[in-house]
Amino acid sequence: MHRLHQLMPVPPRQADFVLRFALALVLLYASADKLLHPQDFANLVAGYHALPDLLVNPVAVWLPWLELLLGLCLISGFWCEGATTLTAGLFAAFWVLLLVSAARGIDVTCGCFSTRPADPGAEPTPMLFYIGRDAALLGLAAFTAWVRLTVAREQAAA
Amino acid sequence: MRLVPKILGQSLGLLALSALCAFAVNAARPDGLPLAQAAKSEPAPSAVQLAPAGGEIALKDAAMLFLSGRAVFLDARSQYEFELGHIQGAINLPVRSFASDFQDIKSRLAGKDAVIAYCDGPECPLSHALAKHLIEAGVKNVYVLVNGWTLWQAEKLPVAKGRAAQSAPATQAAASQTAKAVAAKPGAAKPKGQEKLCTDCTN
Repeated sequence: MHRLHQLMPVPPRQADFVLRFALALVLLYASADKLLHPQDFANLVAGYHALPDLLVNPVAVWLPWLELLLGLCLISGFWCEGATTLTAGLFAAFWVLLLVSAARGIDVTCGCFSTRPADPGAEPTPMLFYIGRDAALLGLAAFTAWVRLTVAREQAAA
Repeated sequence: MRLVPKILGQSLGLLALSALCAFAVNAARPDGLPLAQAAKSEPAPSAVQLAPAGGEIALKDAAMLFLSGRAVFLDARSQYEFELGHIQGAINLPVRSFASDFQDIKSRLAGKDAVIAYCDGPECPLSHALAKHLIEAGVKNVYVLVNGWTLWQAEKLPVAKGRAAQSAPATQAAASQTAKAVAAKPGAAKPKGQEKLCTDCTN
């Protein structure tokens, strides 16, 4: 705990809340469009060619709800330790998926925040951008989880 | 460490709860996705543009159907001309002997996307006459490749000489081997004069 105090410019509890809030905004924003357009999101999921056909629809239906629930938990503080850890795991899984897709040469529409298909006339967004953005989000989520777990440990010890 | 079971329990709870919400809402909403079946993938539009059955078919479309083994070609010319050269895998069905020969080849037309009648020369009426007979006999997906033999040779598409193979599997095999045949025998198809007119148009 002492180390965290030294590292953070703000008290850990406040940092914990700010980080969770920021992460929650990302998750809630990410889930909104997918919840509204399940068929479009299913098409994007299928575009990754990472799941058997039978699992595409269930995953496309379930994933936005997981993001929504994680966002709500992070804001409310309910089941917060699990939510931060799971969010970091989720972003890690997305990141690996993007890396694998890039390695396989699949130029996917990310589908991370929008279900709109890419404008065919526009310059395609390079996979490296998606990978970099997801790496940043993964960093944020991992840091949030670390801060949250440290605070939780402190609370348990107190 | 007490945190680990706590994290695991909460994570599993979140996974289960989100799945429950997701599938319940999906079942209730009118635009919910079908979960028990594979994702609906839009079939790629076919590059083959077919007119209504009974119409004419373009050479490009006929060639594509030939390459994928989805068409059977019926040569409406005489047996003599057929033996001089014909589309690879084609069946000879002269119009004048339609009544006697049709029953023999009927089974070979089943399961094809297109039954393509052809003869030779832009004004040759045999292919149209054959198509008419076929439609009257109840064959669906009949098309006419106008000036078929000349156009086919001009594009150096696979041809054969002599009597046709008698069995359907052999015909299909011939069609599926097209790419290899073209690669192996680039000179196999020699145009015989593109202005040649139908020489067996008496029927």
